Amino acid sequence: MKSPDAIVIGAGIVGASCALSLTNAGLNVLIIDRGSVSSGTTGAGEGNILVSDKEPGPELTLALRSRDLWFEMQEDVGDYFELEAKGGVVVARHDDSALLNLAYHQREHGVDARVVGQAELHNLEPYLHPEFHSGVFYPQDAQCQPMLAAAHLIRTVISRGGQFVSQAKVTEVLVKDSQVYGIQTSKGKFLAPVVVNATGTWAGEIARMAGSDLPIAPRRGFILVTEPAPQYIFHKVYDSDYVVNVASSDADLQTSTVVEGTRSGTILIGASRERVGFDGSKNIEILRKLAAQATSLFPVLRDVQLLRAYHGFRPYAPDHLPVVGEDAQVKGLWHSAGHEGAGIGLAPGSAALITDEILGRPSFMDASAFSPARFAMAKV
Amino acid sequence: MSNDISFFFNGEKFTGTKGQSIAAALIANGQRELRRTRFGEEPRSIFCGIGICFDCVVTIDGVANQRACLIEISSDMKVESSL
Amino acid sequence: MIIVVGAGPAGLAAAKSAASKGCHVTVIDSQARGGGQYWRHQTEVYGYKSNRSADYLNELQQNKLITHITGAQVWSAEKLGDGYQLNYLQGGVEKKISAQKIILTTGAYDRTLPFPGWTTSGVMTPGGAQSLLKGHGVVAGKTIVVSGTGPFLLPVATALATNGARVEIIEAQSPLRWALSPLALLLNPGKFPELIHYASAILRLKIKVSFGSAVTGYNDGEVDISKVRSNLSIRKKNVRSAPADVVATGWGFLPDVTLGGILGCAQTLDRDETVIFAVDREQRANVQNIWIAGEATGIGGADLALVEGAIAGLSAAGSKISVALIWKRFTKRLFARALQRSYPVGAGWQEWLADETVICRCEEVSCQEIIESVQELGAEDARTSKLFTRAGMGLCQGRVCSRNVSDIVAGTTKCAVSRNERLAASNRPIAAPISLGVLGDGIAG
Ligand SMILES: Cc1cc2nc3c(=O)[nH]c(=O)nc-3n(C[C@H](O)[C@H](O)[C@H](O)COP(=O)(O)OP(=O)(O)OC[C@H]3O[C@@H](n4cnc5c(N)ncnc54)[C@H](O)[C@@H]3O)c2cc1C
Ligand SMILES: Cc1cc2nc3c(=O)[nH]c(=O)nc-3n(C[C@H](O)[C@H](O)[C@H](O)COP(=O)(O)OP(=O)(O)OC[C@H]3O[C@@H](n4cnc5c(N)ncnc54)[C@H](O)[C@@H]3O)c2cc1C
Ligand code: FES
Repeated sequence: MKSPDAIVIGAGIVGASCALSLTNAGLNVLIIDRGSVSSGTTGAGEGNILVSDKEPGPELTLALRSRDLWFEMQEDVGDYFELEAKGGVVVARHDDSALLNLAYHQREHGVDARVVGQAELHNLEPYLHPEFHSGVFYPQDAQCQPMLAAAHLIRTVISRGGQFVSQAKVTEVLVKDSQVYGIQTSKGKFLAPVVVNATGTWAGEIARMAGSDLPIAPRRGFILVTEPAPQYIFHKVYDSDYVVNVASSDADLQTSTVVEGTRSGTILIGASRERVGFDGSKNIEILRKLAAQATSLFPVLRDVQLLRAYHGFRPYAPDHLPVVGEDAQVKGLWHSAGHEGAGIGLAPGSAALITDEILGRPSFMDASAFSPARFAMAKV
Repeated sequence: MSNDISFFFNGEKFTGTKGQSIAAALIANGQRELRRTRFGEEPRSIFCGIGICFDCVVTIDGVANQRACLIEISSDMKVESSL
Repeated sequence: MIIVVGAGPAGLAAAKSAASKGCHVTVIDSQARGGGQYWRHQTEVYGYKSNRSADYLNELQQNKLITHITGAQVWSAEKLGDGYQLNYLQGGVEKKISAQKIILTTGAYDRTLPFPGWTTSGVMTPGGAQSLLKGHGVVAGKTIVVSGTGPFLLPVATALATNGARVEIIEAQSPLRWALSPLALLLNPGKFPELIHYASAILRLKIKVSFGSAVTGYNDGEVDISKVRSNLSIRKKNVRSAPADVVATGWGFLPDVTLGGILGCAQTLDRDETVIFAVDREQRANVQNIWIAGEATGIGGADLALVEGAIAGLSAAGSKISVALIWKRFTKRLFARALQRSYPVGAGWQEWLADETVICRCEEVSCQEIIESVQELGAEDARTSKLFTRAGMGLCQGRVCSRNVSDIVAGTTKCAVSRNERLAASNRPIAAPISLGVLGDGIAG
């Protein structure tokens, strides 16, 4: 095996995007995962590529660029992962002032956010509960099938000379004189001067193996999946409470519903957020809340049957921003992790940032807000 | 008292016996095909017969995806093949 | 109070024995009548009879300590205080019931294997044909080929023939395999009259029987019959064809482990890699105050289900289990093991498939798509293949296809299916579909 220029740990959407971007920049890349492709949180993700739920700031800048990069990736790799600019509709249940204010500021930062009144709203979503009288339409919101996307990105990396070793658990990160030089895995040792940690929720473990530290923790989320139904829902529709939840650090359960139809006819209803470690036990009360919220948005869903529910663990950092950049202590160790509930949307943008930094070339934005060094600074 | 019950399948009137499932009553009448599949539009009938496989799903009085092998016929029930 | 989920042989035996010790028992079952999959008599149906069912069904109706909730599908269960709450649907309404002790006897359903043409109307499981007849008084067809493997083909074939169908049996295994289990036969002498009963019925009803053969295709009202080896790979393809308006095809049973899985009861793999519950000497699951009996702890038929149910009922009632009962279970389990040895289901059936053969009936996913998900996209297990192809994501939630998908993925990667993959495939958070309206209305408080 030719010794690679860079190793990417993690075959989720973040690792796959990163591997493709590094490959396209001319590096020979080796991808390592302890399972197979998409066996982590990516396999539980819903595939929303949202700009609508981001407040102005570095994450919105990243989200906007990342959204466009998704379409560039599709041109590069092929139309295999159901990428579609479906558009999002955000509705306010009670008071719409916060929503309209957010839309106003988002527009100033380049988001296409169109305030819609009663008639237009119900034109966009004819089955929406009549009590909703205003909302914001976000044509840029898109979606993809994240597991297929990760698989096709990796397939493309391999076709361009890269490699993927699955079922290889990383057990050690090899560091000498504060410089990384490879990894030890259950399938042997692999050497490279650059190691990218794209292990999502588990990124803290890899950082510790290198003698460093990353405060990334799991946040549980549930999704309900219904039987195939006629097309009742035409965009991603969610309650403006969702935006408040996304930015919250309250450990208690919060639910706010995002409802959308899929190509296969099933309807997805997400997503609760709670900080409960890696507890995988089901909580029927959460399913009930999600169902109640979804049917209050779309009463027609009352007769649609729930088929299954599943959960995943979103990787999150204390300040709810992703961690993208070189490790504060170990040279050559790069992190792209902690994307929480937006890892699919933010994956290609993060990949572009990491690639630019590794190659020392200018990038589309200042990434210091995402730097791993910010936690070390917070401690001091 | 007669045990015969009539119901409608895709608009056509059928008669079965009290206690029979929709699927059983239709098969007894020589109507094996219960629906067409979503993608391939292939005809489907019952398969497991006990509510496990969902091959037999029909729309009953407007409610979709009901298992015809489990639900008993009732008077004037309207059963449809498609969504 | 003790709740028994399932009114089949195991559940009825559990209720009867617990009630005999003075306990109040509530039996809850999704069917309109008691009896489970085997004792479902709407009409009197031909079959080998031991007249046991009447005793148990009478007990269910007459014993004042036993309440029977019918037409009640338990869709979920949760721990509540030091007991359990079961949430069930009855006539479109959600209801809740709780108790400190639960006995799960959720039974099993037919295992099926795909072949070209198996999605055609007219192909069904033997259990399906049997339930049409027993439960609804309908003979599935005029000319019926009963195929697959196992002793269950006999009651189905003879019942159909007695009711006027022309029947042929295609059994994949050779009866000589019973020679592998002499002790089991010796300890279960009660099985001989049953065997003689079916053998003479087959002669009398002129049912043609072939061994070492399988239906490997169905098209235009004709089945293709191939000679197969004991691992089900093809020895000689399409040796003959036969007319059939119905093909009843089954390969033993798969336990329904959903509800116990939701309650966190530990599962394990049986010798033939079927997912079953792990229980102790008294049929206790590893979760406190839950007992499991019948097919859900290993396929063994009604006789074993009755003994296991009785043990579970006594144990839940706090009574001692007699050595005689334990010995009886031992001999029946020995027989169940002999069944596995005599009627194995190897992976050779994959040779029967064409590229376009549908594997996941709900989402219409073909064999080719599953193989491509492995070869082109890097799926290495059924879960990943499912995420790529949707196989197993449909209405039945993989109950029919997930084991077959695992086997096809393993056949393509040339790696054995891992224990974890088998166990994970049976993990379903919801035991039956529930409408979002009803679900949301059930919010506590
Ligand atoms: C219910 C739910 C819904 C969501 N919906 C959306 C959405 O709509 N839009 C959106 O943008 N985001 C969504 N997310 C978030 C999104 O799924 C995640 O942010 C994203 O998948 C993270 O991707 P990743 O590649 O970083 O992590 P992962 O997909 O978890 O990949 C990490 C990989 O690292 C591997 N790994 C870990 N440790 C080791 C080791 N020691 N050695 C080798 N390999 C290792 C794992 O096996 C895994 O494959 C959702 C999340 C959940 C839970
Ligand atoms: C369709 C079919 C026909 C069969 N016919 C015969 C036969 O003729 N002869 C023979 O020897 N063997 C037959 N068998 C084999 C049968 O498995 C055993 O003989 C025996 O019935 C097993 O008893 P049990 O009590 O373990 O389970 P079962 O008899 O299967 O009883 C389980 C009961 O639990 C109920 N249940 C499961 N989950 C839930 C839930 N979530 N909520 C509410 N209720 C639930 C089911 O509806 C069922 O009534 C048949 C099996 C099947 C599947
Ligand atoms: S035939 Fe299988 S669910 Fe009705």
